[in-house]
Amino acid sequence: MFKFLKKNKEEKGMILKSPVVGRCFDISEIPDEVFSSKMLGNGIGFESTEGILYAPVDGEILQVFPTKHALILKSAEGIEILLHIGIDTVEMKGEGFESFVEKGKKVKAGDKLLTFDNDLIKAKAKTNLSVLVLTENEIMESVEFNFGTVDKNNEVIIIKLKK
Amino acid sequence: MMEKKAIVKNETGIHARPALTVVKEASKFKSEVLIVKDGNEYNAKSIVAIMCMAAVKNEELIIKTSGVDEEAAAVAMVKIIEEGLLK
Repeated sequence: MFKFLKKNKEEKGMILKSPVVGRCFDISEIPDEVFSSKMLGNGIGFESTEGILYAPVDGEILQVFPTKHALILKSAEGIEILLHIGIDTVEMKGEGFESFVEKGKKVKAGDKLLTFDNDLIKAKAKTNLSVLVLTENEIMESVEFNFGTVDKNNEVIIIKLKK
Repeated sequence: MMEKKAIVKNETGIHARPALTVVKEASKFKSEVLIVKDGNEYNAKSIVAIMCMAAVKNEELIIKTSGVDEEAAAVAMVKIIEEGLLK
């Protein structure tokens, strides 16, 4: 981490930690083309083993959807991040989801944002596979992903920002 | 400038997929296209703005367009929100 901060002085960048304990994988594996085709932006797929979503970076909550299955977080650097739990979970209308944040709240990386019932999602929605989308913006130069088994301290997205 | 009302009629409201539909439609026009909900204005050509709006079923939105094709844009936006989002 310290090494990164040093490097940061020469190259502007930011790091996103895993939003879950579980696994992170290529967004193209998400069974919904709105996400897999990156229409909303680049990002990663993730699956939680414990049903808790954590903030991947320090930032501010721009919106929690009324159905609590998704939220938008804006990082201190200005990157807007959509976190969307499961696919077609909007139709669950909030059942099985609990939110610990609201619009306008400032959060730190690792803060608990949402909890969700994986078994209920698997039973009622298309899948519990979830997505993190870096919505389109002009300040990103490049982005790298680390996939695999993760806990919430793993660095999963490394973004280089334009100078 | 044109202003028209639109009611969200689809069951799930304007989340990810419907938001993309709205943004794609708005982006066809040269005019500035804004959607007003609860007094707040959202840029209809921005996916983040439209998802942040988080409009749910039965909410009333105001479409505000301004530019060379403002009338066509306003009409198209009402149609896409009221009819285009229904499955």
